[in-house]
Amino acid sequence: MTSFSRAVAELKRYPSAVAGLLLIALLLLAGIFAPLYIPYGEALAKWRGGDAWRMYPVNAAPAWTDWLTGNNNPRTQILSTRDASRTQAHFAGGRQEHIALHFDYEADGFPSELNVFLQTDRSARAPFVRLTWLTPSGERFLLGGQRVSAADRISISQHQLLSQRLGQAPHVGLFAQPASRKSGATPVVQKGRYTLAIDAILFGDEATLEADLVVYGRVHGIAGTDHQRRDLLVALLWGIPIALAFGLLAAVGTTLTTLFIAAAGVWYGGWRDALIQRLTEINMILPLLPILVMIGALYSTSIWLMLGVVVLLSIFGGGIKMYRAMLLPIKQAPYIEAARAYGAGGFRIVIRYMIPRVLPVLIPTFVTLIPTFVFLEASLAVLGLGDPVLPTWGKILNDAQTQSALYNGYYYWVLAPAVLLMLTGLGFAMLGFAMDRVFNPRLRSL
Amino acid sequence: MSIAPAATSPLLQVNDLSLHYQTRQGEARAVDGVSFALQPNEAMVVLGESGCGKSSLARALLRLLPRNVAHYSGAVHFEGRDLMPLGEEDFRATVRWQRMSMVMQAAMNALNPVVRVREQVAEPLRIHSQWSREKALARVRETFGLVGLAPDVLDRYPFELSGGMRQRVVLAMALVTAPPLVILDEPTSALDVLTQAAIINVLKRIKREQDISFILITHDVATSSEIADRVALMYAGQIVECSPARDFFHAPRHPYAQLLMASVPRLRQPEAPGAIPGTPPSLLALPSGCRFADRCPQRFARCDQPPPTFHLDGSTVRCWRFAPEGAP
Amino acid sequence: MKNTSRPISKATAIRQNLSRFIPFALLRLLGLFITVVIGVYLTILIANMGGKVDELRLLQIRTTVGEQVRADPAFFDMPVAERDDIIESRVTLEVKRRRLDQPFVARSIDYLLAAVRLDLGRSEEMHSDSGAREVSAIILERLPATLLLFGTANLAVFFSAVFFALRLSRRYGSWMDRAVIALAPTSAAPAWFFGIFLILVFAFLTPVLPAGGMVHVPPPEGRLAWGLSVAQHMVLPLAAMFFSSIFISIYSWRTFFLIHSSEDYVEMARAKGLPGRLIEKRYVLRPALSPIITSFALMLIGLWSGAIILEQVFNWPGLGSLIFRAIGHRDTPMIIGSVVIFAYLLAITVFLLDILYAILDPRVRIQGGRS
Repeated sequence: MTSFSRAVAELKRYPSAVAGLLLIALLLLAGIFAPLYIPYGEALAKWRGGDAWRMYPVNAAPAWTDWLTGNNNPRTQILSTRDASRTQAHFAGGRQEHIALHFDYEADGFPSELNVFLQTDRSARAPFVRLTWLTPSGERFLLGGQRVSAADRISISQHQLLSQRLGQAPHVGLFAQPASRKSGATPVVQKGRYTLAIDAILFGDEATLEADLVVYGRVHGIAGTDHQRRDLLVALLWGIPIALAFGLLAAVGTTLTTLFIAAAGVWYGGWRDALIQRLTEINMILPLLPILVMIGALYSTSIWLMLGVVVLLSIFGGGIKMYRAMLLPIKQAPYIEAARAYGAGGFRIVIRYMIPRVLPVLIPTFVTLIPTFVFLEASLAVLGLGDPVLPTWGKILNDAQTQSALYNGYYYWVLAPAVLLMLTGLGFAMLGFAMDRVFNPRLRSL
Repeated sequence: MSIAPAATSPLLQVNDLSLHYQTRQGEARAVDGVSFALQPNEAMVVLGESGCGKSSLARALLRLLPRNVAHYSGAVHFEGRDLMPLGEEDFRATVRWQRMSMVMQAAMNALNPVVRVREQVAEPLRIHSQWSREKALARVRETFGLVGLAPDVLDRYPFELSGGMRQRVVLAMALVTAPPLVILDEPTSALDVLTQAAIINVLKRIKREQDISFILITHDVATSSEIADRVALMYAGQIVECSPARDFFHAPRHPYAQLLMASVPRLRQPEAPGAIPGTPPSLLALPSGCRFADRCPQRFARCDQPPPTFHLDGSTVRCWRFAPEGAP
Repeated sequence: MKNTSRPISKATAIRQNLSRFIPFALLRLLGLFITVVIGVYLTILIANMGGKVDELRLLQIRTTVGEQVRADPAFFDMPVAERDDIIESRVTLEVKRRRLDQPFVARSIDYLLAAVRLDLGRSEEMHSDSGAREVSAIILERLPATLLLFGTANLAVFFSAVFFALRLSRRYGSWMDRAVIALAPTSAAPAWFFGIFLILVFAFLTPVLPAGGMVHVPPPEGRLAWGLSVAQHMVLPLAAMFFSSIFISIYSWRTFFLIHSSEDYVEMARAKGLPGRLIEKRYVLRPALSPIITSFALMLIGLWSGAIILEQVFNWPGLGSLIFRAIGHRDTPMIIGSVVIFAYLLAITVFLLDILYAILDPRVRIQGGRS
């Protein structure tokens, strides 16, 4: 295969090819890493959203944006009574507990939310809980008391009365410096040690009560979170293998089948060839995306169905015309006649003689086809016709679109998947282009 | 066939013309120090094997240079002035096609497929001489008659014509501006024997009737002998012999020419035609001495040096055998 | 060789050309029409494989009949049960009339004929601005916006690409050439992708252009002001479509021109001493134009297909965003109707390009086939 190694050596001369290969290699590595880091089933389960994410902030930007903008935004802090010390006073039929949750708040920005999650167990009657808030400057705020069921959530930040009392939203007011708490003034964060004091009355000797205070930050992790509190990293990471798989499978399926059909059409000629030509024309009239849209809307949006239809509709496209134009002169070549003379069957001739001749053009076409399909899958997802369970980049973009991410300033929500899509597309496209310049005989002399 | 050397100054005087190409494997010296003279109304045939640089010579004369030129030098005196110093635009506007035209090899593809024949042939007249449409078309019709084409060919597109007709169209195109010099690169090699003869006859008639000089580049010894006044034999980028036709065909001087003529079968010859062993050197890696030395049966010690061109009576030979003081 | 013909007059030449040309055009039109019919039929098959279209029509019949009967004063006094009976019998009659009780194959032909006539039914949940509920009316209302945007974009890309590709083919290896080659892979991304970035930068980060829509709200008075407003809104989507196609087009057509520049007849033209511009126009551009138009057609089809998302991203009130909304509502007649119209648009585009092809390349005209 010396011509192959020669081609590879020549390919190395093109910086775009090297860059493309590097990108692809990185993506492949990340794609292999993703299922190792988060197994498939787990990823799907997580992406369904729900309670698993309840302690994550809503629409939090990635943590490193602070570094870019120079802000000092708070990260989420979770204080659990399981780690805190408590004092207990028993009485007949139960006990009274006092737990103090301390935390330091040093950020410049206010938290996005404030919640307390409570769990009780083996309690004869519903426990009673009273919450008190202590600021570094020594102020005390009584946040109210209530009965607690087995699993409860007290949303401090949505507390209406508290909000009225403070004159601001609770998660702002409770953290603001006293002077700036007046309405009209810009609130300034009071840094220091805060305490949430929980006084609980438990009924029954076996009763237990655990509480988690969640001070939701405004930034989170590498990728931030979306409107359902899901860490975008899950979808961004898992988007890689999904995009690669879809692109590769679709490209392989389409290219091989197109080639085969074109070769068969050229070889057998006659009505078969004419039929393939007509099919191609009909297929070109049918607009791909609208048909996909129709199928997705009327039937199902399972990714396998989409993949199948995409391949089916792409086979009879421009590729067939190109391969046909290349294969036709080969068919009339003398060595083909020689092959038939020694009794080679049509299949053998097609496989052994015709197809290898088009391989040099086929390879770059194949590589350049991959990003087309990656973007196609993303397009479908953006339209809301993506696979309902898979976490893909297109799905992220779709969510961002429906939640008006750009209008709300959540640029990271749009940028991260877009950049990843771009890199994937560029990687393959650059490689494919360089390959085209190396392999395509007509271009080589230029 | 003019026999006597011209008394007037030559139409074309080429001195030390060189054209080298830059290829991936090195510099190919396709035309390497070529010199010759051409008189008005004279037909000179440039003979040579494939790859000896004949076509490059034609290109060098008309300055049709490709992108990968490594070296282009020499002096080309045409109609009294040196063309080499001329700028590209000057050359294009004053020389190309007005004074010097060309019939290319394999005219199959030499015609624009989407333009009618009459437009293409009339083009040089309308562009260079600014002739009106009617005047140009009249001249085109005239030229068609000259080359033996029916006037209804005028309205056709090139793909509607046969190979022989296309060749005539290209010939008509070259003659339409009545240039004093027409270079023909393998005008008949792609045609059948009958059409070949017809084209050669056309050329002979034109030469008789008009005051045109031809440079005919070919590898076909037989057809060239019909029309040639002078013959220049090229080998590995150089002209090794340039003699009047009669001298060349009957008494060639250069060993290569001798072997060549011996290899041309005559109609009635008892013995088998000779062959020339070996192959010409690659234009990328030329030997330092005489380029034909490897295959020359008359080789001797001096041939390790590159021979200059020696002028004999009416001929030039590039061979040490003909050095004035030299002797085998 | 006899001297037979005289020069022909221009009028005769035109007449001769047309006489060869018209049958060709008609044949092509017929061929395309058949293709469209088959395509639409396939669309219908796909749409109704789940039985959706049938349910739809049944529902429509029921609704129409129900409305008719309930609105008919002659039936006002009837008891409900009796009225329902009448509705039922009429529905059955209608079903029989429309052959809905026939097997699907026969009905699909009916639907096909209707679609070909552009009788696309009524939308389930959407209506046009004027209140009409016929699918064709709704589509017709939105069509001009799409045509405006995409027509302009396609023309802009075509002419710029040809212009630059010609220039670049003369300057092989220059920095401009290398820049285009380096940028060509960016065309892997579809137009809507560029659109997102453009909106981010030009509508949010540095708000100089509107982020979406077709005109300002409220629309300005006067035609000129209105036109300017539309133009302003067109800038970003046009730019998105332009940049997503331009580099690859310039690159592939410049390669094309380069390959074609090495053709023998181009060399011949140079030998003839023709000026560079003329050679470019007549010897490089004109023969290469037909394959370029084919590649342009493919690009066009690609752009059309991407219209849905692009219009959605830019909130452009055209056919694409119409389909998007129809998807959201699962409004089947709307979806199918839009796909059918798309197919028609594509067919018309292909046909126009074919005509252009024939005008430019005499080989197609005279031989009647493809070169």
